[in-house]
Amino acid sequence: MKKILLSFLLAVPILGYSQSYQVNLQGQKQTAMGGAGTGVALDEAAVFFNPGAVSFLKKNGVQAGGSAIFLKAAFKENGSNITEYTKDKTVVDPSAYAVFGNPNNRLRFGLGVYVPFGGAVHWDPNWTGKYTVTSLDLQAIYVQPTLSYKITDHIGIGAGLVYSRGKVDLKRAVPLTLNDGTSATAQLKGHSNDFGWNAGIYVETVSGVTIGVSHRSQVTAKVKDGDAIFRVPDALKDGFPTSFSANLPLPATSSIGLGFYPSSKTIIAVDANWVHWSTYKVLAFDYNNNSRIPNTSSPRNYHDGGAVRVGIQNMATDRLALRLGAAYAFTPVGKGYVTPEVPDANRILLSAGLGYKASERFSIDLSFLYENIKSRNETNFETNLSGAFKTVAYIPGLALSYKW
Amino acid sequence: MNSKFIFRSILAVAVVTAASCKPELKTATPSKGNADFSRYISVGNSLTSGFADNGLYLEGQQNSYPLMIATQMQTVGGGAFSTPFFNANQSDGTGYKKLSGFTATGDPVITDVPAQAVIGSATVPGFGTVPLFTKYTGDLNNYGVPGIRLNNITLTYYGNLNPYFERLLPNTSPANTIPYLSFVTAKPYTFFSMWLGNNDVLGYATGGASVPADFPTDKALFAQLYNLAAGTMVKGGTGGAGTAKGVVATIPDVLSTPYFTTVTLKALLTAVQASAPTVQAIFIQPGSGAPRPATADDYFLLPLKAANVIGKPNAAGIPYGLHPLNPVESKYVLDKAEAAVIVDYTNSYNATIKSVAAANGLALMDANALFKSYAAGRVVNGAAVSAAYITGNLFSLDGIHLTPLGYAIVANEFIKSINSQYGSSIPIVDVTKYRGVKFP
Repeated sequence: MKKILLSFLLAVPILGYSQSYQVNLQGQKQTAMGGAGTGVALDEAAVFFNPGAVSFLKKNGVQAGGSAIFLKAAFKENGSNITEYTKDKTVVDPSAYAVFGNPNNRLRFGLGVYVPFGGAVHWDPNWTGKYTVTSLDLQAIYVQPTLSYKITDHIGIGAGLVYSRGKVDLKRAVPLTLNDGTSATAQLKGHSNDFGWNAGIYVETVSGVTIGVSHRSQVTAKVKDGDAIFRVPDALKDGFPTSFSANLPLPATSSIGLGFYPSSKTIIAVDANWVHWSTYKVLAFDYNNNSRIPNTSSPRNYHDGGAVRVGIQNMATDRLALRLGAAYAFTPVGKGYVTPEVPDANRILLSAGLGYKASERFSIDLSFLYENIKSRNETNFETNLSGAFKTVAYIPGLALSYKW
Repeated sequence: MNSKFIFRSILAVAVVTAASCKPELKTATPSKGNADFSRYISVGNSLTSGFADNGLYLEGQQNSYPLMIATQMQTVGGGAFSTPFFNANQSDGTGYKKLSGFTATGDPVITDVPAQAVIGSATVPGFGTVPLFTKYTGDLNNYGVPGIRLNNITLTYYGNLNPYFERLLPNTSPANTIPYLSFVTAKPYTFFSMWLGNNDVLGYATGGASVPADFPTDKALFAQLYNLAAGTMVKGGTGGAGTAKGVVATIPDVLSTPYFTTVTLKALLTAVQASAPTVQAIFIQPGSGAPRPATADDYFLLPLKAANVIGKPNAAGIPYGLHPLNPVESKYVLDKAEAAVIVDYTNSYNATIKSVAAANGLALMDANALFKSYAAGRVVNGAAVSAAYITGNLFSLDGIHLTPLGYAIVANEFIKSINSQYGSSIPIVDVTKYRGVKFP
């Protein structure tokens, strides 16, 4: 178990998708069901989706998985006849969960390791928007020890402490010309260590419908003394900074979910998420040397975002589960604030998957998610970059679990 | 809901997503509208030739706005476009300025790259000696001739006086007899750009209004010649279909270029006061009248900085610029009254250009408005672009001509004007592919 967790702590960066740089790939079953899972006690991933549902899991178990994200964004400058694409960069979004304790007891323990925020967008280093961004790698990996308690036979509550380890690596061109005629560049790299929490409540109603409510707190990723690497003309080098500080909000998410059980073989999950993006007002960088460049403060002015999700699971046989889902996410990014590091827009998600129980203890789950982010033609207030963005993503995933 | 339905749906999702692997953006098919770009020629002065950093050299020619426009026109039926390039082994052309560093106080150190294409000189009777550049013999679409004024375009002997024009002509100075306007219209063309008139006011301004021979071209003569030029150009050249479409451009406000805005009274005083705190005025020799203290309405010219003369005592021991008996010379100053003349003539010329464009149904690129909008700074695709010297990305080291990035901005403005006049959809160039001032 330790080894598995460690390997995920060292895992590669994650691709941003599903609402700006929020990532929603925390469980393979849930991903295959449109990302819904707050109102059902499906599996160990309840540690993420609803800590209150953990105490309702019938078995203990561990699971580990990942989703490979193939994302392609396109940009066409207004007036131009050239469409530019992001580079192919496949990244894997890991998640791992464990649930312990006696299933007959009211108190259960959980541990989750997952990545709720991330991004990996790589444009050509010489693309039209190079002075705004050429690449962004962002990853916040959360480690969440969790307690879940059944207050009654039908009501469970749970809460977890979140430790967040963040990593950011942003590159862009600087509008100064080097002696070889190419543009100067800047790279900002840093880490953050922050805390937050996750709590939820899970209720089985007399009608048989289950209800879940959860809230994951905001974590403000604070990067202190990150590396600011400026590749600028030698004649100007002295005045450029070597380190930076920045704060990036990883916003709170409130969710409500319902579970319906039309037959013993079928589960329908419905979720609504409210993402408190409105705390993301500016992206600001403070430098340790301002003689050549000032500190920057780029307006983002996000408003809150949200998503509605629906998913279905059907046991085709005793061993085989089929899953299907769909979701619609509302972008938090307002008109004039779309930026190429996160070319966000409203999006449609379609998902499918299957689960196979190889034995009483081992099972494997597969998911496939398709995201279609709507085309958006915008002129950014700050950079005047004007054109249309369009993004699609294909995300296959796999998880293995062991129950006892 | 049965399993079969779910299984079929899974297949459906797979089919839908596999069918659209790459994000697609709608692109309008480029169109030539009601213009014909099959042979485009550009008529103009240094700005048209690609002049930059106080010289004409290969890299500047390769980044001229007419070549950029012509390349974009090729998506809508435009033909080949020939620029009178210097040979690769003479790529430094007439020589140019480069930035080689900064002084301890942050002033730029600018050095000369020597000429490679100067092959001798010729004596023109009644005029004097002119340099000779390596001849260009080949197809020609970019007819930009640095230094040419509108009131030069009908002169039969002009090809002997201007070496940039001479290098395009068959004969060696002083044997040329073809006027510029006749030369550019000697072959048929379908589309033209004409950006002339800048030098009719520029030379007087950059010389500090100290050379009477450089006085701006008479306004009525300018109107007469501009009508003649436009009226000739729309005929499409000798042997053509008898008609051509085109675009003309207004004259930018030269006083907002770094040549006139970099050396300021405040900066001069601050520098002097560092060692002589009691100094309160810089004395100038205005165009008329006695020396007087400069005001914020007078313009100091860029070469004053490089001349490094302020405060230097003359034979009588009087420091330069700090006393009425040794004022800053007229050639380094465009005083308030002289500046008003420049503005007056520029406005008059531009009124003429706009009315002639309208009368001939030509597209108009308002360069005056364009440069005004950049004077205080604009952000272009995330890059700050302004009229600031060296750091502004728009103007080259001579403070008057543009960087490749500046020329790309001009090219796009021409393209937008053409598209709006003729209903065409020539794609714009990507300005971020072009550089600003090179730093060491």
